[in-house]
This record gives sequence, C-alpha cells and structure tokens, in this order.
Amino acid sequence: MAKDPVDVCIVGSGAGGAPMALELGRAGFKVVLLEKGAWYKPEDFVHDEILNSRRNFFMPLPWDEPHLWRQGADKPYSRTNEAWTANCVGGGTVHMSGYFYRLKPVDFRLKSELGAIPGANIADWPITYADLAPYYDKAEEELGVSGNATPHPFLEPRTKNYPLPPLASHPVADEIEKACKQLGWHAVRTARGILSTSYRGRNPCVYCTLCGSYGCEHGAKASTNVSLVPPAIATGNVELRPRCMAKEITVDAKGNAKSVVYVDPDGVTQEQPAKIIVVSCTAVESARLLLNSQSGRFPRGLANDNGLVGKNLVFSSFGQSRATFRVSTQAKELKWLDVTAPFIDRSMQDFYLMPDDRHGFRKGGTLGFMWAHPNPIFAAVGIAKKGERGIFGKALKDKLREYRDSRILEFEIYGEFLPTPDTYVSVDQNVKDKYGLPVAAITIKRHPLDFKMTQFLVERGEEVLALLKPEKLERVGTAGETTILQGGTCRFGNDPATSVLDKDCRAHAVKNLYVVDGSFMPTSGGVPFTLTIAANAFRVADRLVQRLKKGA
Amino acid sequence: MTRDDFELDAAAPGDARGEAEAERDGLSRRVFVHRLTFMGGGVVLLGGACKKDEPPPPPKPAQPPPQALVSSHKTFTDPEWATLSAACERILPRDEDPGALDANVPEYIDRMLQTREMEQMRKNFVPGLAALERRAQKMFKTSFATATPEQQDELLTLFKNSPETSGEARWYEMLVVLTMEGFLGDPSYGGNRGEVGWALVGFKLVGRNIKGDPKPPYDGSKRLEELRCGGNRGC
Repeated sequence: MAKDPVDVCIVGSGAGGAPMALELGRAGFKVVLLEKGAWYKPEDFVHDEILNSRRNFFMPLPWDEPHLWRQGADKPYSRTNEAWTANCVGGGTVHMSGYFYRLKPVDFRLKSELGAIPGANIADWPITYADLAPYYDKAEEELGVSGNATPHPFLEPRTKNYPLPPLASHPVADEIEKACKQLGWHAVRTARGILSTSYRGRNPCVYCTLCGSYGCEHGAKASTNVSLVPPAIATGNVELRPRCMAKEITVDAKGNAKSVVYVDPDGVTQEQPAKIIVVSCTAVESARLLLNSQSGRFPRGLANDNGLVGKNLVFSSFGQSRATFRVSTQAKELKWLDVTAPFIDRSMQDFYLMPDDRHGFRKGGTLGFMWAHPNPIFAAVGIAKKGERGIFGKALKDKLREYRDSRILEFEIYGEFLPTPDTYVSVDQNVKDKYGLPVAAITIKRHPLDFKMTQFLVERGEEVLALLKPEKLERVGTAGETTILQGGTCRFGNDPATSVLDKDCRAHAVKNLYVVDGSFMPTSGGVPFTLTIAANAFRVADRLVQRLKKGA
Repeated sequence: MTRDDFELDAAAPGDARGEAEAERDGLSRRVFVHRLTFMGGGVVLLGGACKKDEPPPPPKPAQPPPQALVSSHKTFTDPEWATLSAACERILPRDEDPGALDANVPEYIDRMLQTREMEQMRKNFVPGLAALERRAQKMFKTSFATATPEQQDELLTLFKNSPETSGEARWYEMLVVLTMEGFLGDPSYGGNRGEVGWALVGFKLVGRNIKGDPKPPYDGSKRLEELRCGGNRGC
C-alpha cells in the first residue's frame, strides 16, 4: 500500500541527495530521504581494515549485488564491485579522502575551448563557472572545508577564502614546493573536506592516518551523514529512511513521476508517492534505476526518450607513481622522514590546460601528492604480487621488513576522462541482484588521448619526486580510471535531443524528476567531483525551492 | 600441469556445457573472477563464483572416504588443516621474526571462511587444498604437510606460476590474500596473534592508538554481522 504522499522523495543521501534534503527541509517542504545502506554512527567507524576495506561494510559483495564490467562491447563481462561507492547514509562522502577542489572555468566550456575531438563526445555545460561559484561558496561553508586560497596562476575565481584554516601539512610539503619551483611549476595547497578546527558542533581532525577508505569516528570529515543530514532532519521536515532500496520510479497517466517503489529493511515492498522525485544514487546506479523504471510511456526507461540515459559515462583518468624513502639510511639527511603527520595537501595544476597541443593533448588535470595509504593488508598483498613476479617465504618477509623501514610518497592524477560512444552503463536483464533487480552493466573503451595526457602528467610528477632523492621511484600506472568518481550518464544541456536533463538538472522528458549526483556532468573536469556534485545540488535545490514556492 | 588436476573451475576451456551456460548468463565462466577493489583496500580475489550452481562431483572410488571433522576446526578436516598450516607457513615462514603459524593465520582462515561473506571463497578454497595434496603425493610420494620445505616451495611456485586464469594460480592468490589478512588483520578475527604481523610491517607506528582503534572486547566478525543486520534487526 502506498505511503502518504510527500512534497519531495529523494533517493540517495550522499553528495547530491543530502544538500537537496537540507535545503528543501529548510524551505518547509516535506521530504522523504531514501538510502539503500545503513545509518552508521560515529562509533561504527572502527579502524579495522578487514571490516572497512575488505568486506561489505561499505561496498556490496559481487555475488549479492554485482556490477558487470567489460573492456569493450566485444569482451565478456566479469562481475565486480568496481564503480560502487559506499552504501550507507552519506554515500561516498563517508569513505572519501575529501580532496575538495573546484572545477575551473574551462571545464564548463571544454568544447568551445578545444573544438571537437574525434572519437570523444564532449559538450559545453549549459551553465558557467560564474553560475556555480556562489554554490561552491555555499557547499564549502555547509560541509566545512579547510584550505587557504592563496593566489596562483591557475586559481579559479573566488570571492572569499575557505571557511576553515588549512590542515597542518607534513614538512615534506615544503620540499615538494621547492622541487616544483625548481622545475618552474607550482605546488598549490589542496583544500580538504576535513575540519581543521571545531565547526558547527563538529569535532576537528585528530590527524590519524586511516582517513580515506574509512569513516571518521570524530565526525571531522565533511561526510554528509554528519554535516548535512543531521541539520536536515532537525528541520522537522525531513524523514530519513535508511536500508531502503529503490527498485523503480512509477509514472502517472500523464508521464509524470508518481512514486518511488522500494524495498524496506524488512524486505517488504513499499511505495512512496511524491510531487517531486530526486534521484542521486551515483551516475552508474542512477542510470540503472531509470533504465529499470520502464512503463508504457517510457518503454526504454524513465526519461530515456532519446536513449541517452546511461550513455557518456565518465570517470576520472588515473595515473600514479610512488617514491620510496628508506628511514634507516636516509633519515639523517632527510629530516622530515621521521615525521608521521598524515597530510601533505599539495597539488600541481600547471598542466590543467595546455596552451597548445605540442604534447598531443590540451586538457589535462591535477596531480595530488600524498603519503601512500597505510592499510597493511593492502600494502602486503601488493608487495607479494602474483604470477611469475610473485614472491613468498623469506623473500616476502624481507620485503615486508623493508616496507617497515620505508616511507612511500606518491601522487595521483585526476585527469580529464573523455566521454566516448563505447563507454556507457546499461542494465543486464539476465543478471539480477539480491533484490531481483537487473544489475548495472558497464562497458568501457577509453579515448587514446586520455592515456597520452595521463602519461605526460605522470612523467612530470616523477620529475618532482626525483628531486626529493628517493631510494626508489616506481610507476604504478598511466592508464587507469578512478571509478568512485563518476558522471555523465544523464548529462545536462539545453537541447532535449542531446541531453537527458535541462540546466536545472530536471529531466527534459519528466517535468517533476531531478537527478543530482554526478550524472549531470557532460565532462569530467580535472579534479575529483565531490565538491562539484554538492555545489550543483545546492544550486538545483535553490531553483527547485523557487519553483515550488511559485507553485509550478 | 593439466586441467583435470584441479576442479576449481567447473567450466574448463572448451567445456561446451559451461560455455553455453556462460552465453546465457552473458558471462564468460572461464574468466569469471570476482574482484573486490576498494579505495585504499586493493584487490581481493574471491575466486570463480559459478561453482555454486554445479552439482557436487561424484566421489572417485580410489579416494579415501571424507574425513569427519574431528578437530576443533570448522572449515577444514584434520588433513586439510595440516596442508593449510604447512602452506601458510611457507608463505610467511618463521625466521628471525614470527611467521604465519606464530600469528595463528590458519585459525583466522578457518574462522573467516565460516562467515556468510566468504561462503563463495570457502567453496573455491577448500578443494584447492586437496589439489595441492594430490600433487604432493604424485610428485613427492608424501603428503604436502610432511614434504620438505624445498618440496613445498617447489609446489607452491608451480601453483603461483600457473596461467593467470587457472585454478592453481587463483588458489595461490587466495592463499596469499587470506594469509596476509590473517597475519595483518585485526587480532579479533583470530589471526595476527600478539600483533606480530603489525610489528613486522611497522603498522603500529603510523595508524594506531586513537579513538577509532579496535579495543577488546571488539570482535570484527561479530561487528560485521550486527551491522549487516541493522543492529538488533534479524537478517
């Protein structure tokens, strides 16, 4: 039986859903916030690598709720938990590292700037950086972002500094700054979605080293389960329903979205009617929900008249190298080696946009410097390797002892990921999850420019690391993608023929349906998406509140 | 090494029935590997997953009858336990620092493979021990557990260097992953006794002694179970 209708039903409580819930609740609208995962409390976030990183605390198991993944339509699928983010209240913002960069003006007009790129389906955004800038300010304030926006040649326009002072940096940050300067480049401070001081009743960071891939037991990360969802509930207008899995969005006779059908924690199917339905389950899972919501009006899936739902999937281009320093032999010379402070918080954006294409590409991205994640099982499995290169026995133990004596400094690339016709999400009717729903099937075929770009950035990063005199410098890879950062599957635009959403992230084909996770982004940009998703959701919420107040 | 030495994969290359089913699934069974990738968590290989749909293979008349579980181990028979313990100790042998047995790694694996999350891995991992044992008998005329360390290493290397998608290579990878988890995971899961694993890699220096660290009577497996069930709500 259907529940009592509400003004707005939001599916997903992460970077997109939570800002919507907060702003709609503040404006006095009745909101139901559905979240497929559990509502973890701070005390649930324990520094247990097995629990956090190697079981289904955050990510579902591939035999319960697989994603299918194939490298090209001619390849077979394999089951994976790739491209999930955390399934819990707060979503991916719970286990994020919180690298809170803004996009730059060029990211909103990539096609105008670069012209068409053969084999890549890039498009300008229907909004500009200036349209989003006030909402970046708002998101930084509401989530609690620490940083210091000192001027540098690549700084995006901003009218105020970050709401919190920067986190303390490891002294190697000074060395990185020197090395970059020597090479004629700039090491700029990375803003973090982590509190450097107490803020709005939340505790500051205690500088433990188990941050990314863990929930914060102090509530110091800008995770929406601590930053936005509690104040949303406190408005008295927002009801959070955790452990509720949306199966389908129904439509009425006119083709408007009518209700969200979901499975409650007891396994009972429920129906929540609402005037407005907002989807924010990640670009992969939102596309899946729409594609699984088939009706007489929308036989190919909700809002999918033009067949573009699930198309133009983008991740973030990934590359990485790591420098190993030996404490026992190098600490005398390198005074900073003994310091165990976790954050470096320095980035390079000198190759964000190349002035010409002499290196074969124009749009690049960001290099972020960080200490290697200290998860010991993760490290040891990496050291043991497998196949012919695999080691065990005494050789493995020697390497583990060497690891104990090491400090590993690395950088990772957040690079433009060009949308291609062969990178998309569909649903596979033959493979169902534990709820009996067809699962998301991801096909990926990267654009060759992505690899050229990533390799160039990795080589530049290696030049910086080399100046720090490491004992060893290794390349991890230049052809990867960061699948927790995802977008594009419901791109926004002014033309209903070439986009799924309008510029307010409302579906062209369904006037009371919004999508507010990364799905709207037609291009990936050269930074992690999280802050942009939150800022855009605040923008969309603003537009929606105005619309609802007018009674439209 | 021939495929019939190992029954980890129900569908060997060219197995018509397997391929047909794979077609229906939209999945190739031969390359059907579950990979768990996590931010900061790396890759956990959980083995082929279609085995659960297969009927159990008929017992071979030459084999001895299955051993009753006479030990305190829940997952392994006594002979399997002996094989497992020997294999783990070769992955991380005791030298000037403690090894896998010092850290109680086999106990971790025994307990972990009882959890619902690892049910699939149990089905793939346990038969691999028998395969290792058969091979030891064939090559060295003795059980794996009583073979010399050099012989044990030779066999493990053979498994390790088998083709990537072979049952042998996948089983070896599972063995390494489980051994590392048991050596370096939270001690509440039964391994890493006395935190000897953390001491070896220096983990205590960087990430510990803060509020979120597990403290007794924390029990990771129990916690996972409770959280999955939504606190007091039954699964």
